[in-house]
Amino acid sequence: MTLSVIMLALVLTGAIAWWAERHWQGSAKWLSLLGLTLLATVFAVFITSANHDFAQLQVLTRVMWIATFNIEYSIAIDQLSILLIALTWLLAIICVLISWREIKHKVGFYYFNLLLTVAGIIGVFIAVDLFLFFFFWEVMLLPMTAIIAIWGHENRRFAALKFFIFTQVSSLLMLVAIIGFAYFHLLQTGLLSFYYLDWRALPMPLAMSQYLMLGFFIAFAVKLPSVPVHTWLPDAHTQAPTAGSVLLAGVLLKTGAYGLIRFVIFLFPEASVQFAPVAATLAVVSILYGAKMAFAQQDFKRLIAYSSISHMGFVMLALFAFNSMAYQGAIVTMVAHGLSSAALFCLAGMIYQRIHSRSLIAMGGFWRSAPRMGGFTLAFACAAFGLPGLGNFIGEFLILVGVFQVQAEFAIVAALALVASAVYGMVLFQGSFQGPAKCEVIDLQRREVAICSALLLLLLLLGCYPTLLLKFSFGG
Amino acid sequence: MSAITSQPDALFSLTMAQAILPQLIIAFGIVLGLLLVAWRRTQQIIVCFTALVLVLALIANISLYGTSTTQVTQLLLVDANSSFALSLVLISALVALRMSYRFLKAHIEVHDEYYLLLLLVVFAAGILVTSDHFASLFLGFELLSISLVGLVGYQRESQYSVESGFKYLILSAAASSFMLLGMAFIYSVSGDMSFNANLSNAIYHQQGLGLFFQLGLLLLLSGIVFKLSLAPFHFWTPDVYQGAPTPVTLLMATVSKLAMFVVLVKCFVAQRYLLLENVQLFLISFAIISMLLGNVMALRQQNLKRLLAYSSVAHMGYLLIILIVTSEQSLAFSWQSILFYLAAYTLANLSIFMVIALLQQYSSDAPYQEDILLTDLQGLFWRAPSYGLLMILALLSLAGIPLTMGFIGKFYILSHATIAHAWWLIAILIFASAIALAYYLPIIFKILTAKANDPQHMPLKKQHLIEQALVYALVVISLFFGILPEFVNQFIHS
Repeated sequence: MTLSVIMLALVLTGAIAWWAERHWQGSAKWLSLLGLTLLATVFAVFITSANHDFAQLQVLTRVMWIATFNIEYSIAIDQLSILLIALTWLLAIICVLISWREIKHKVGFYYFNLLLTVAGIIGVFIAVDLFLFFFFWEVMLLPMTAIIAIWGHENRRFAALKFFIFTQVSSLLMLVAIIGFAYFHLLQTGLLSFYYLDWRALPMPLAMSQYLMLGFFIAFAVKLPSVPVHTWLPDAHTQAPTAGSVLLAGVLLKTGAYGLIRFVIFLFPEASVQFAPVAATLAVVSILYGAKMAFAQQDFKRLIAYSSISHMGFVMLALFAFNSMAYQGAIVTMVAHGLSSAALFCLAGMIYQRIHSRSLIAMGGFWRSAPRMGGFTLAFACAAFGLPGLGNFIGEFLILVGVFQVQAEFAIVAALALVASAVYGMVLFQGSFQGPAKCEVIDLQRREVAICSALLLLLLLLGCYPTLLLKFSFGG
Repeated sequence: MSAITSQPDALFSLTMAQAILPQLIIAFGIVLGLLLVAWRRTQQIIVCFTALVLVLALIANISLYGTSTTQVTQLLLVDANSSFALSLVLISALVALRMSYRFLKAHIEVHDEYYLLLLLVVFAAGILVTSDHFASLFLGFELLSISLVGLVGYQRESQYSVESGFKYLILSAAASSFMLLGMAFIYSVSGDMSFNANLSNAIYHQQGLGLFFQLGLLLLLSGIVFKLSLAPFHFWTPDVYQGAPTPVTLLMATVSKLAMFVVLVKCFVAQRYLLLENVQLFLISFAIISMLLGNVMALRQQNLKRLLAYSSVAHMGYLLIILIVTSEQSLAFSWQSILFYLAAYTLANLSIFMVIALLQQYSSDAPYQEDILLTDLQGLFWRAPSYGLLMILALLSLAGIPLTMGFIGKFYILSHATIAHAWWLIAILIFASAIALAYYLPIIFKILTAKANDPQHMPLKKQHLIEQALVYALVVISLFFGILPEFVNQFIHS
């Protein structure tokens, strides 16, 4: 109940912010910030006051929604979804802060879309009726597309269109798989059901589950993204406004990973094991290809986008290793990548605001005029290539160790990417902050320092004290 | 009631009259309307009168819900499905009426005949959705064609009116003669014109007769398919959609499509034509060609009405999938799905054409703008928020994105296809939807983005209160039924 109210309140806050902006300029951002903080607090209180440890799925609400198909509005949470929702709250607040000065036109509508996206994302993480899940999956997509298409950079329409079509087509495949599963349930039990827990209890012949799993896998692989369906990502990340990129890289990619865990692996355990070699190969290719492409980029944001492909490849590799250590690593990587890539995109946005360019050629020597910004960039670039002491290192280390025990050859090849990531990390940092000074930039302002240091602190915490996450099992 | 029980074999009883009360009201209204025109020619009176007739018919029709299926003579069969379809027809006609009034008011002449033709279209649709006999099918079909021809060419001063009127006249005359020939062939084999005639299985398999029968079926099908503008019988659609006055296009897109599809399903289900492999083959090829061609052709259109014409081709293709995969056991479910999809499609089309009609009236300084191009939609969401929102919702519904009825409609289609394991059709449907997104989304982006120093960027002229209310009502209805589709299902069930 509380969660439904929170989602509804998000939409309402968005609407109020939109309305208020018309009458009092500058009120939308304050309202959004206030609303998000407040609701995040409510969520935190709700979770801490509950007397579960959420190791298993806790069903919170089940209400009949579309009786014709026996579709329910049913939501549930466990540790995995709580963690991802917490990440969502954090990044949503950062999104509001980062858009503070950047968004200049149609401000009210912007914050409405932002909050709607957040509501959709939370819905994705808590829905346990597959139809409802699909519903939220699409609802989070619409405002995100609008954010890219309206407030993005020069080539925004094309990027938004590509993003939407890729996601939509793959999710239609998932919809067919969902329907197929539901009607299989009808055949077996005489009851049409879209309810996740019903599905988990249903034994399914391998031949059939292979096909159904493929439908889900494609949808999540597009979102993750994995080679060869990754091409929407560099465009969408590059063209989106800063907050859009942050949300995309920080949370939307994680919905793909979440889907893989929650639906592909748990609903189709046998079929996933069978499919693991293919998935792992795709993952390794993504890791290497993303890293290779990253250091060939001249565009600051495009470089980070390709590095995301590489990092999410690690997550997929870990998930299909079926090893608890790799699984823990995947969780840590998801969080750490969410923080570090969000931070890098924030920095890209800050630089863009100062020099109105994303090209590394136009940058250089910023260290002299903006040492604070340089320090943060260095720190986050190091996080991205896995410097010990920061969160990403823990994640990648656990993944590689875990995968090595199961499929050593994949781990060996994937480890090569660690070298490559150091290369592109350095390309990024040296290209922008070292060398002869191309122009003077203003150093970070107080708001920007707050954003960066918050993210850096969390990464440090995760890197130095990973037990914070590792003590939970996350359903693994 | 006692009269009926004592005379069960009466040719025409009171229950029957009650069952076709909506049609009777409309027919009576047409006659009265003729007299009214002879008595006094004023726009106001005839509009109010037409609206009254439609509302009365709607009330009569709604009161029919829950009554059992009634066979009215051999010609008509009134059941829950036809009642629901008729309600949709009447609601669309009411919206069309309001838009027509605006549209005709912009002209100096008095146009009373227009409203009679409009009532005739509704009457024809009323016959079609209830027809249970080839004779009534043909009657309805012809009545629909003839009155629509009159409406399509109504706007004499428009540059397109003659072209589109003639195109529609000649092609639909050809289609109906094909259909008549087809009926004759079928009759020559089966010897019965009723839909629910008991055809012996022999007909399907007998060598010589079978061929004749199948030829007849193909001709019959081509007539209906022409009206549904399924590819490859769609060539008239873009030109006529563009050339006709927008309220008439609205009628064609909703009333005519809806009624024809319902009668197609009635006919084919009752006669079990779907058992024939050749018919299946034809339907599948129509569906596939329509889905792909309609969407591909829509991609490059700049004129909004032409674009919608091609998208309607694709949509009828999607809908045909349900008919193709339906089986005896899933008949009730098929009906429900088809009616739901038609309702979603009608609502979306009503919304879009209404916005087009309003833009034609209000967007420029000229009293009336003939063509609405995609560029005219630039920044609509900021110039006129309610129009923009309605348009976006309708486009999302056509594209089948959640929060709208169109998504549930697509869900129905995918469910049917999945149950029937029609994987190829699903693959093509998904591929076609992807193409469709490539033209729906840019329109939505256009609506959402305004150019700052554009002369177009000015608020619309002042609009009438009723239109505003209609726009808001449609926005609320689309959202409400999109999120809670169960309410529509309740109507269909009863």
